[in-house]
Amino acid sequence: MSLSAPDQENADCDAARRMAELAAGYKPLPGIPDEFTGADGRPRAHWLRFLAALTELSAGDIGKRFATADRHIRDTGVSYRAYGDKSERAWPLSHLPLLIEAGEWREIAQGIEQRARLMELLLADIYGEGRLIAAGDLPAAAVTGSPEFLHPLHGVKPPGGKFLHIYAADIGRGPDGRWWVLGDRSQAPSGAGYALANRLVLARAFPALYRDMNVERLAPFFEAFRFGLTSMAQRSDPRICLLTPGPFNETYFEQAYLARYLGLLLVEGGDLTMRDGKVHVRTIAGLKRADVIWRRIDSDFADPLELNARSRLGVPGLVDALREGGVVIANALGSGVLEAPVMMSFMPKLCRTLLGEDLRLPNIATWWCGQSAARRSVIAGMEKLAISGAFGNPLPGFPRGQSIVGAALDADEKRRLAAAMAERGVDFVGQEVVNLSTTPVWHEGRIEPRPFVLRVYAARTPEGWSIMPGGFCRISGRADARAVAMGEGVQSADVWVLANTPVAMVSLLPTDETVRIRRIMGTLPSRAADNLFWLGRYIERSEATLRLIRCLAGRMIETGAGTANPGTALSKLVSLLAAWHAAPSEAAASSAMAFAAIALHGGEDYGSALSLVRDARRAASFIRERLSPDTWRLIGDLDQNLSIDVPRPLAEAEAFERADAALRTIAAISGLAQENMNRGAGWRMFDTGRRIERGINTCRFARHFASGDAPADDLDVLLDLVDSQITYRSRYLMGVALSPVRDMVVLDSYNPRSVAFQAERLDEHLETLPLLSDDGMLETPRRLILQLAAEIATTTAASLNNEKILGFEQSLLGLADAIAARYFLQGPHVARADKSSGLA
Amino acid sequence: MIYDIRHLTLYEYGSAVTFSHCVLRLLPADGPGQKVLSSELRITPAPAQMIERMCFFGNRLTFLTIETAHRKLIVETNASIEIERGEPLNISETPAFEIVRQEAFASTFFDKDSPAHFLHPSRLAPRFEPASDYARESFSPGRPVLEGATELMRRIKADFKYDTKATVVSTPLSEAFGKRRGVCQDFAHIMIAGLRGIGLPAAYISGYIRTIPPAGKERLEGADAMHAWVSVWCGEARGWEGLDPTNAIMAGNDHIVLAKGRDYADISPVAGLILGSREQDVDVKVDVVPRA
Repeated sequence: MSLSAPDQENADCDAARRMAELAAGYKPLPGIPDEFTGADGRPRAHWLRFLAALTELSAGDIGKRFATADRHIRDTGVSYRAYGDKSERAWPLSHLPLLIEAGEWREIAQGIEQRARLMELLLADIYGEGRLIAAGDLPAAAVTGSPEFLHPLHGVKPPGGKFLHIYAADIGRGPDGRWWVLGDRSQAPSGAGYALANRLVLARAFPALYRDMNVERLAPFFEAFRFGLTSMAQRSDPRICLLTPGPFNETYFEQAYLARYLGLLLVEGGDLTMRDGKVHVRTIAGLKRADVIWRRIDSDFADPLELNARSRLGVPGLVDALREGGVVIANALGSGVLEAPVMMSFMPKLCRTLLGEDLRLPNIATWWCGQSAARRSVIAGMEKLAISGAFGNPLPGFPRGQSIVGAALDADEKRRLAAAMAERGVDFVGQEVVNLSTTPVWHEGRIEPRPFVLRVYAARTPEGWSIMPGGFCRISGRADARAVAMGEGVQSADVWVLANTPVAMVSLLPTDETVRIRRIMGTLPSRAADNLFWLGRYIERSEATLRLIRCLAGRMIETGAGTANPGTALSKLVSLLAAWHAAPSEAAASSAMAFAAIALHGGEDYGSALSLVRDARRAASFIRERLSPDTWRLIGDLDQNLSIDVPRPLAEAEAFERADAALRTIAAISGLAQENMNRGAGWRMFDTGRRIERGINTCRFARHFASGDAPADDLDVLLDLVDSQITYRSRYLMGVALSPVRDMVVLDSYNPRSVAFQAERLDEHLETLPLLSDDGMLETPRRLILQLAAEIATTTAASLNNEKILGFEQSLLGLADAIAARYFLQGPHVARADKSSGLA
Repeated sequence: MIYDIRHLTLYEYGSAVTFSHCVLRLLPADGPGQKVLSSELRITPAPAQMIERMCFFGNRLTFLTIETAHRKLIVETNASIEIERGEPLNISETPAFEIVRQEAFASTFFDKDSPAHFLHPSRLAPRFEPASDYARESFSPGRPVLEGATELMRRIKADFKYDTKATVVSTPLSEAFGKRRGVCQDFAHIMIAGLRGIGLPAAYISGYIRTIPPAGKERLEGADAMHAWVSVWCGEARGWEGLDPTNAIMAGNDHIVLAKGRDYADISPVAGLILGSREQDVDVKVDVVPRA
């Protein structure tokens, strides 16, 4: 579509007018530096360029694109968990990026690179020779006060020779226009994955704008980071793990996201075990060596033998494996010692001592009150300073937290603080109060200034430190916040580093020679196998329950009865659902449809459709990096659609429709699994769970509705439940009869819902899964399924009875136990979805 | 004086354990006034691997890997130790506590005996204001550090009741302090937290005291089990001095050191035998016999 010349002129005119309005409406806060407005009080050129490009879009179009970005965030499941939250929250993304132009970025990048080098040397000295302490450059008490200084790691040379592999600093622009380091992240910096997610969202919403502004790409940084980790390993094709504290961690989404993006194996402590000085992953094929571990758990939790004995997140013996040089950990255990605010007070001098250079980026001026002279000047100048815990500790006697501004204290509080400092000055630092600069956010069609903090990342590569051109920017919800944590009202923003020339599309595709073709992504960890299996079982059990409910509602519509009379097929449906704890049987006494409402939407009964779907979702949350975003979303939809309040009783037609809709979503999940999931061990575990559960449920259906004296009505219900009405009618012209129905439901291996069919698929799966030893003997699960399959295959319809069907059912239950014992984690460190819901 | 020590620990589990990694801190080491003549560790079932290391604080660690299925684990230590400690410091000759405190803050030492390691709150001796307030009462301005610490030790002995039923290993310091009851471990932690709370370095010592008292003397508390006391730093010139708040005496020739750390968590005799929610049954027997 093209506009005629006068229209084009009008449109340009309109854009120019709107841009001028936006710029004129922006009012920086008095006395606070700003990203949009330069020191001369005029908008900076790169921001005008951005606004000009943005306002080429109509106001309506901009709104639509913002909405697209928000939807994209919701759809891909970008989320975080505020500390203590039960569920994850969607990620609040500012619609405007933070812009930083090339020249300024160069200075930031050089400053971060220098600081990363300095940090490495500091760690090496603190955990090694200790020259800085002996020389008095770094007081011993300033090191030992940090809970992240770990005595057992002293004297342990990190395998690979380096302590720090990824480092980040929080920076902000001070009133003098310079960038200042506000804090160091040397332990396990978070946020890089969110930065990546933010970039994908914003670049997709504004592709032309993104291209025209010459924004530096993030991908090469991540590639460099991954290459850096790989190059630390002693083997050529190393296994690199991302060690997560688990799905209840604040940033689990990010960990799963990065594991997926970087192709790392996401593991929890329970997945790992130390043997003979090396660390191994427990997989369904036995123990497999872990060469490099990128940890996202705090050091103290990494090894219950020598560190925090109460930790269940770590690997017993890990510290000893480090002594033996058997595994590389990024970052080294104990590297968090540098995050203590007290370190900042020594940084300027340490930089000169260790590097012979001045800090390129200053950090916030800091005085440690463990030193008499510094303590005296902090007490004297308290009015102008912020007082913080030297080791990130809360201030003793001041419930307001880890940092207080001297000016905000009354005379009595100041006296108290001075007395506490005189006694244990080591616990305090005084810090200069810096007002951070503001950057524009979009608010109801206008732009407004908000303070922000920028986290910049450095990754070690064999060629030196690589700096991510961009970062993780947190913008305060209020105009005056100093510290910006990811809590209420805080947004994050994409960070655009603007190159002076168009940014080449860097091809990340490696050349043919460097790639080894592979079809299976490593071996499946036991914990993942466990959760995939249970995900399969919960989904299948949800399906069976929903079928029972749909059948119940359908019969009610046909018969028009309000309650289920004893002895009828209806009452059998109710009793089976009650036996499965979908709803209490008393509820059915007054109204079958009140019962159905609970079975569908009740959250209290553990066998209700809602409870089962929630169990499925929980199992899925443990293996999120292995599920496609579509699958995760469908499971979420299922939960959401069942988590509603409905009238009890529910109208028959509505109950039918709700159960039917949920079954359609499950069909979509099944379709994704069949059509999109790689036929690796993961898929087999998932499908094994489904097949076992379907086999068990079908046996139960058959025993319930096709016992020796079952009336035709019951058999009819059974055919409904196993979706075999049409096949039966086409195969048998007479009405329903016991033997042919039993045959079709239990023995007919051509029917994908029969028990026989499940047994055959199970045998295929178990045959394909890896063996632990090559002695040619069958492993227990395979032996059990071969036995069962043979028994089913040789049973005739005439000889089939409830007793035999019960035997099949029990064999399947035994098989499930054997699979758990053979493939899943056993013992105290098992981390898996709670199987409280009483599934066998 | 030479002591023969036998320390037996028995673990019983509800179900068989097939694989276990653990760390023992059950072998004594040489130290000031203490020489280990012999020491050995016997473990049943026999471990597949057993490695000994020295930890940062100078304690002997034994890393075990047991691959034999077992329901019962027996750990037995036998050691002979010669103790010959000199006269304790003259308490009034130790420096004023304010001077000791500033020396600790400014210390440039980082070896195992540096005050810096024992100055800050630790896992089981966290900052606890009531304990700091309690300790502060014994330190009037300018008071020699060991004079104040000795008074604090006596006050603990007087104010707290020795009661083996009142607390367990995992009872937090604040609870024992509130109850004014506990055992050696609780008293040591309370004294340590109090001293550190006012800026003075203090260490946790685990060990033994002789089971049978010398003729005419009373039997000391804690004699039939492991014992714990406190070591207080008295400045760079004087170093460390042991104080036993459970018995209100200086640690002397009746005290045998097994390990030193910031608190019990640093030196718990066995780490790594966690088996799900059910606590395993533990049985401990200690004999400390002086040679005639």
